[in-house]
Amino acid sequence: MTLAFDRLRKQYGQVVAIDDVTAAFAPGLIHGVIGPNGAGKSTLINMTAGSYSVSSGSITLDGKRLDTLKKYQIANSGVARTYQNIRLFDQMTVLENLEVCFYPADAAGTWKEVMWPPYALARRESRREKCMEILRFFDLQGYADCDAGSLPYGRQRMLEIARALVPNPRVLLLDEPAAGLNHHETAELTARLAAQRLPDRITIIVEHDMDLVMSLCDNIIVMHHGKLLFQGTPAEVQASPDVQLAYLGTANDIDDIRAAAQDRRAQLGIRARRRS
Amino acid sequence: MSAAGTLTATRPRSGRAVSFLFFAIALALIVATPFLPNYYVRVINSLLIYILLGIGLNIVIGYAGLLDLGFVAFYAVGAYSYALLASPQLDLHWPFLLILLVAACLGAVTGILLGIPVLRLRGDYLAIVTLGFGEIIRIIINNMDWLTGGPKGIARLDKASILGIQVARPIDFFWLLLVTVLVAGVLVWRLERSILGKAWAAIREDQDAARGIGINTTNAKLAAFATSATIGSIAGAIFAASQRFVSPESFTLQESVLIVLMIVIGGIGNILGIVAGAAILMLLPEVLREFAEWRILFLGLLMIFLIIVRPAGIVPRSFGPDKLIRRLFGK
Repeated sequence: MTLAFDRLRKQYGQVVAIDDVTAAFAPGLIHGVIGPNGAGKSTLINMTAGSYSVSSGSITLDGKRLDTLKKYQIANSGVARTYQNIRLFDQMTVLENLEVCFYPADAAGTWKEVMWPPYALARRESRREKCMEILRFFDLQGYADCDAGSLPYGRQRMLEIARALVPNPRVLLLDEPAAGLNHHETAELTARLAAQRLPDRITIIVEHDMDLVMSLCDNIIVMHHGKLLFQGTPAEVQASPDVQLAYLGTANDIDDIRAAAQDRRAQLGIRARRRS
Repeated sequence: MSAAGTLTATRPRSGRAVSFLFFAIALALIVATPFLPNYYVRVINSLLIYILLGIGLNIVIGYAGLLDLGFVAFYAVGAYSYALLASPQLDLHWPFLLILLVAACLGAVTGILLGIPVLRLRGDYLAIVTLGFGEIIRIIINNMDWLTGGPKGIARLDKASILGIQVARPIDFFWLLLVTVLVAGVLVWRLERSILGKAWAAIREDQDAARGIGINTTNAKLAAFATSATIGSIAGAIFAASQRFVSPESFTLQESVLIVLMIVIGGIGNILGIVAGAAILMLLPEVLREFAEWRILFLGLLMIFLIIVRPAGIVPRSFGPDKLIRRLFGK
């Protein structure tokens, strides 16, 4: 029982962004997706989460088609994601950012919540309890009542991952979670993600930080020009001349790949705010 | 973590005095109203109607973040429901409470009917379409002479009565409106704090991310349109019963804009703000009555001034009813 792509394709007119990718992601593992800029890594995540439509091929989770569902239905099938450029609910508090994730489960009880205060209080308390637990795991409990938009950049990254974990997802999609984080924060993130490795969970990380990918991931997929170039363990990927060729144009050592990734991180360092 | 602590800990103590002052003014006004001349009671009644309309429209604009410029359409639906079901026009004379129920249902249905085509729209585009919707309803009313009396309107509406008690004098309507505003205010406030209210806020902040956490934005938005329209329609029915006359003139675009202004000046997304905004926009024209043609100029200047000084509104979103209660009765 896995998340599977079958001849997955994404085309914009004549431009092929994802070219017949077939891959399977086993639960209990952390899967890394790497590749040079424009290789189609984020497109994979966006198609899986329903943000982009699928041109042809299919995405299935435990044998159930995902690509035919609407985005919210995909989320309710157990797929949670974070975004490359952080997308929090800026003017809601940190706690509310997590609480709102209970909407799919609690929406039917809305009128009972409005009309019957003891029920509302009980629901609110139970939601709060669960959310605070996740906030404590990410060491964000002190920010619970601050507006999410007012948090420092690194904390916002953590909060977005925390939000994705609220519904206890089957599939966790992380789009460059370490972008813009400093070394200390990246180490912190790596430790937390490792702790979230559950036997039933499929975690997919798109990331340029090779230290994070190599130390955290069990299985790595290398994308190049929309195609699946290579799949294997971190050690196999590091040894592959194909991968080095894709990244650098010449077969060279892994340190140069790291340098390329550092440049990329510097570019993504500052998050553009969407509104004042 | 200490930074977060100091952020929330420091708050001016003067807030409490201001809260008390406004609470006292509101209470004094309610107690004094029965002893005021009819003219003033009528002014206060129209203030209450606008507060009710503001509470309704605020669900869509303030909570869900959808700029609706056609709200007056629902107000018209409610008013004409009463006018048609309790007048010689169709020779129907239904009881007031039943009409209120019918108006509420009709309001919800029109709310959803407007909601469905505009689901994909946001911001400016939504504003234009809803503006058109408001005008369409008014023009339909204006032209369906056989049913609505056209521009002449419908006169001689029945006197309303609730369970045998006649509601006819301005002061009767004052009590009716006060109860309606309080009930609607409390329910909507509880709705805002419910999980649906949180979902609306998420849609307002980032619709796509809201879908990403599993919110069916279609349903949540339609719920916002429906509840908002229901309240607008109820306000319309009470308005018609108190005027005992309706005509399309009461439902122009200007009314929609006025309600939006109340919300923006008072404080988007905050019921207390609506009360403040309505008070300023309704009472100032009365105060400035002797300046005749300069009145609108003053009002305009005041609005510009307020928006510059308090861009988040007179009562910002963060100071909601729960904060007020805590200031008044808590530590």
